[in-house]
Amino acid sequence: MNPEHDHDDGHHRPRPDSELALRASALEALLVEKGLVSTDAIDAIIELYEHDVGPRNGAKVVARAWTDPAFRERLLDDATKAIAELGFGGAEADTLVAVPNTPTVHNVVVCTLCSCYPWPVLGLPPSWYKSPPYRARMVAEPRAVLREFGLELPSEVEVRVWDSSAEVRYLVVPMRPAATEGWSEDALAAIVSRDSMIGTAVPVAAGPAE
Amino acid sequence: MSAQAGGGAPGAAGAPGGAARLAEVDAALAGRAALPRDNGELVFEEPWQGRALGMGVALLARTGTSWAEFRRHLVAAIRRRPHDPGESAATAYYAAWLDALEALLAER
Repeated sequence: MNPEHDHDDGHHRPRPDSELALRASALEALLVEKGLVSTDAIDAIIELYEHDVGPRNGAKVVARAWTDPAFRERLLDDATKAIAELGFGGAEADTLVAVPNTPTVHNVVVCTLCSCYPWPVLGLPPSWYKSPPYRARMVAEPRAVLREFGLELPSEVEVRVWDSSAEVRYLVVPMRPAATEGWSEDALAAIVSRDSMIGTAVPVAAGPAE
Repeated sequence: MSAQAGGGAPGAAGAPGGAARLAEVDAALAGRAALPRDNGELVFEEPWQGRALGMGVALLARTGTSWAEFRRHLVAAIRRRPHDPGESAATAYYAAWLDALEALLAER
């Protein structure tokens, strides 16, 4: 890299990374030349990995809990163990707690300190989850924030706000919508949105299985 | 156990060229060789680090090399690499990843 240009964004020390960047691109060129990889394949993998750990894991957990009462019990008892049954886990799922919505209790999750999030089941947090207004206001005025998300809760429903930490992370288990009797687990999982597992939305029975 | 091949169809549909899903990579590299993360998000400080990861995944899929074998190379490279306090964890990790890829190529 051209040292003359370093002043433009030059608050960093000289970049030892540039040597590694050159090595990486040389290696990539070699692999492409040998026909072992293609640039498109690498692009596709990076793209895939950015979206791989997604809320689909959590949706499968919820759908299983909806269809299998024994699993639901195990999930509420020890979520870390229960999600491991489905092959989900990892360091940051160590202390996962599942909190079930009921006709009288609605749960919602926040991390007031930073952006702790149960990523093994929900993937990467949405940007609003990390935003200071969400973090502050969800504790102070949860009903108002939920209304902004389009979720109007009857006044007799108690709202419980769960503050995540590095030690404990929460997964909301929403209520199974009416009119989904007989749906397959896959069809059910398809209507469990990320937001419904954070608690800023509820699943709606629409679309599949017609 | 488990892994379950991603619960069936979705895994197969999404992965280019039979590439491993991230969950498999995480499982295979757990411990000493684990991918650098910050609150769950993969950490890439420079684009080359992401490309190093992508190259590895593509190369293994293409050559049928197991993640266990790659892990062996990667751990060896991490051990060999002198510790540089001025270097970030992600830089050191993906530098070792490049070493491991080169070692793998040299073996072919």
